[in-house]
Amino acid sequence: MMAAPMEGTPVRIGAAPPYGHVIVNERWRGSAIVQGFQGKLKAIFEEGLGLVDFHLSDHSCVLYVSESGLVAGNGYRRKLFQFRKASKLHGIIVVEKTRLSEQYFPAVQKFVVFELGLTLLPVASQSEASQLIAQLVHDESKEESRNPFLRKKAAKLCEPVVLALVQQIPGVGRVKALALLRHFPSIHQLSNATAQQLEAAVGAAAAQSVRGFFHTSLAPPR
Amino acid sequence: VGQGARPPLSQPVCVLADSRGIAGGPEVLSCLRLRHGVTAQVCSLGACDFIVSNRMAVERQTLSEISSSVNRGRLAERVRALQGSFDRVCLIVEKDRTKPGEVSRVFQRSRYYDSTLAALIRAGTRLLFSSGPEDTAALLAELARVEQRKSNAIAVPTEVKGQRHQALQFYLTLPGVSYIAALNMCHRFSSVWHLVNSAVEELAAGACVSRPRAEEIFRCLRYAFHPDLLPHRPAGGAKSSGL
Repeated sequence: MMAAPMEGTPVRIGAAPPYGHVIVNERWRGSAIVQGFQGKLKAIFEEGLGLVDFHLSDHSCVLYVSESGLVAGNGYRRKLFQFRKASKLHGIIVVEKTRLSEQYFPAVQKFVVFELGLTLLPVASQSEASQLIAQLVHDESKEESRNPFLRKKAAKLCEPVVLALVQQIPGVGRVKALALLRHFPSIHQLSNATAQQLEAAVGAAAAQSVRGFFHTSLAPPR
Repeated sequence: VGQGARPPLSQPVCVLADSRGIAGGPEVLSCLRLRHGVTAQVCSLGACDFIVSNRMAVERQTLSEISSSVNRGRLAERVRALQGSFDRVCLIVEKDRTKPGEVSRVFQRSRYYDSTLAALIRAGTRLLFSSGPEDTAALLAELARVEQRKSNAIAVPTEVKGQRHQALQFYLTLPGVSYIAALNMCHRFSSVWHLVNSAVEELAAGACVSRPRAEEIFRCLRYAFHPDLLPHRPAGGAKSSGL
């Protein structure tokens, strides 16, 4: 079905689990994480996934750093560094942060987030990891438009913004702002209006205020 | 002065903190200043808790806040607003403090919490986990230093007075302009006229914003206003009677 990975390939590219599935590195067979998937997620076991522990989708995957891995020393670093070098996949590093390993957590976080630029998520146990991975897979299949944290790119009218900008000029309220915009429809045109043109539109006092606002020296030009 | 001299690596980094957030955690600020040597300036940021560079906003949330569904609407709104004016948004999830004598509660991880994390990651938010205010300060200092290494450090005076303050308010009204972008504008353009009449490249360089953001600002400044396209104001408002 799939091409056999080359010997020593650190990461297999193009592993894409079908809907509701996760591709699991063979070494996790029988683990508490996989047992926890029951009823939520179907596991497809594969060998030759290299450094990756779980493929969530064709572009994101999980690498697991266990409590014992943390306590044992810096061995996990080489693995994560290798992954970072070998792959453009979005790597989520799930770290087992327990009473025993929490003293190592700040160093791991610094390494993963600041040095490697990868995502890190702490869990307290393998069963928590199981729940988290199931949720990550579930979220991958959701449409982006349903993500509450993503900004919708709706084309908005600029009229309220332009009006609010003109009202930021001292001494210019809504009425004067609308009068100014009738004569000079854009901020650019308003900034280039002469004193006479402004006076004709809103009177001498406001005209002076507008000129002053645009032309007062704020900083020495670089 | 030698040609092409680089600024020394140990240049102090600057972080802006929102004035409202101070009540919730003065120790973050004092820790930033005293332990990490960060210039921490309190400003009325409104939209976020901290700004650590020209492009990065940091929001601080406690573990209980982020795992409660009551707060999701507000958090989502804030994160979306930050994405509107910052290229990078980071969320620090801080462990709740325990009052003296109180037994630290065991955090019950919920599906809701996991789904919030998953959605935040997918939205491109960077997540950091903190064990308390001191840890949060250390993370903020580290973020600011990393951003400094990438030449995105805050490099303008953070206080504005008089005429510049009026200009700052005007710049903050522009679409996609963060507090730090507005500060950069205040200090890098000789007048409001100068900014309004600048090309896209000058806007991007002066305000330290990406090209798409500079284009958005440029378009807004040249947008031809049409009064008929203003949304209708609710009728019978208190203000309309006086006119």
